[in-house]
Amino acid sequence: MTTSLRTALLSATAVVVFSSSAWVLGAQQAGGEGAAAAQGQGGGRGRGRQSGPVTPTPRLPDGTVNFGRVPGEKGVWAVPYITNMAMRVVGKDGQVLPEIQQAQTAARAGGGGARGGGGGGGRGGSKSEPWIPWMPWSAAVYDYNSKNESKYDPEGYCLPPGGPRMMATPYQMEIIQQPEHKRIIMIFEGATHIWREIYMDGRKFPGDDELNPTYLGYSVGRWENPDTLLVENKGFNENSWLDYFGHPHTDKMEVVERWTRPNKQTLHYEATVTDPGAYSRPFTMAWDIPWRDGGELPEYICQENNRYLNRLEDDLGQPIFGPRPQPGQKRPAGTR
Amino acid sequence: MRTKFAVVIAGLVLLASARTIVAHHSFSAEFDANKPFKLTGTVTKVEWMNPHTFFYIDVKDEKTGKVTNWAMEMGSPNGLMRAGWTRNTMKAGDVVEVEGSLAKDGSPTGNARSVMMNGKRLFAASSQGNTQ
Repeated sequence: MTTSLRTALLSATAVVVFSSSAWVLGAQQAGGEGAAAAQGQGGGRGRGRQSGPVTPTPRLPDGTVNFGRVPGEKGVWAVPYITNMAMRVVGKDGQVLPEIQQAQTAARAGGGGARGGGGGGGRGGSKSEPWIPWMPWSAAVYDYNSKNESKYDPEGYCLPPGGPRMMATPYQMEIIQQPEHKRIIMIFEGATHIWREIYMDGRKFPGDDELNPTYLGYSVGRWENPDTLLVENKGFNENSWLDYFGHPHTDKMEVVERWTRPNKQTLHYEATVTDPGAYSRPFTMAWDIPWRDGGELPEYICQENNRYLNRLEDDLGQPIFGPRPQPGQKRPAGTR
Repeated sequence: MRTKFAVVIAGLVLLASARTIVAHHSFSAEFDANKPFKLTGTVTKVEWMNPHTFFYIDVKDEKTGKVTNWAMEMGSPNGLMRAGWTRNTMKAGDVVEVEGSLAKDGSPTGNARSVMMNGKRLFAASSQGNTQ
């Protein structure tokens, strides 16, 4: 599947690179959905939907932050839907870059496509995000994903979001700390109902050859200070996108995450992406995730009845999954 | 026209206030937010399944009398339950009014935003939700 996808991507990319300049002009006039969608977010701090008073950060007996439940209470993290991470890039001060704020203001003034939803609205492609340290190929792939409105999003195939996108896919999650086992477990309702294990035992990363590339990568964590959990991640495969908008990455990607809980109701997430295969320098993104008091994780099995797969056709009108019709035949009944 | 516009705005406000938005695949790759529809029909089947609940309605063309079976996509069962649904909320035989966006490919397929049933409007936890 990956091979055929990649072939489709590559061939289509060539077409897009050819025609992208004219299209980008048009799309820029329409305004970026990401820009408009990120309206009103105010700096790197995302919107918290909590009502009621803000209460102090809960802590474990050793003084480090408790990222989970207080004994006797229920609750989960209500992960927000962030479709375009480029609009969450922050500077050294932790605030959204001034040029992003300007782009948002411009989009608002132009009434630019604030239609939400897994997409919609104008999408300006790589040229509308000059603060992203593009390489020519990553810009071209992003332009392609922008132009076809994320049609080939791996998450649409029920594959894991992977990397920072785990914290930008709008299903609930929980963080379970087990200091006695020197590990932290993160469990996710959606985005394929998966878990992460963060090794807190001070281990070193396995050598490149021993690291099997995976969707979520290999995660080693430590307390940078009693308030900040620092998690280093390597060993990602190339089957995921950084976000719904389709920023690509390679298996050279390394992600450093900083997790803080400034108060009981807020998880602050920061991720620095270093991917010399796709971007010429590292960049950092950040947002807030609100606590949902009393929440629990229900089961969610994405693969159950994913009709999108059966409806999906490549750029030449051929089905990507399932049987291909022979020349002169129509697609088998029931696949549409 | 003005009424229609008001309905759309009301729908958007409803969406914006909804607590949980479930995203799965690309909404805009399949559906056209600029092609809203409002259809009334009789439910023929409900698929209460992940990642999207589907239901099917028979819609009769008033002029020709021709009946077309439409497929309607909603959010996941979890998303729908958070929006007040249960698996028994909708059954075959129910008459419903559905609002949403049409499929781009012209097939009788829609992304449902809301469903009016027994005088009550239910949010469909669809992937055309609000984003950040």
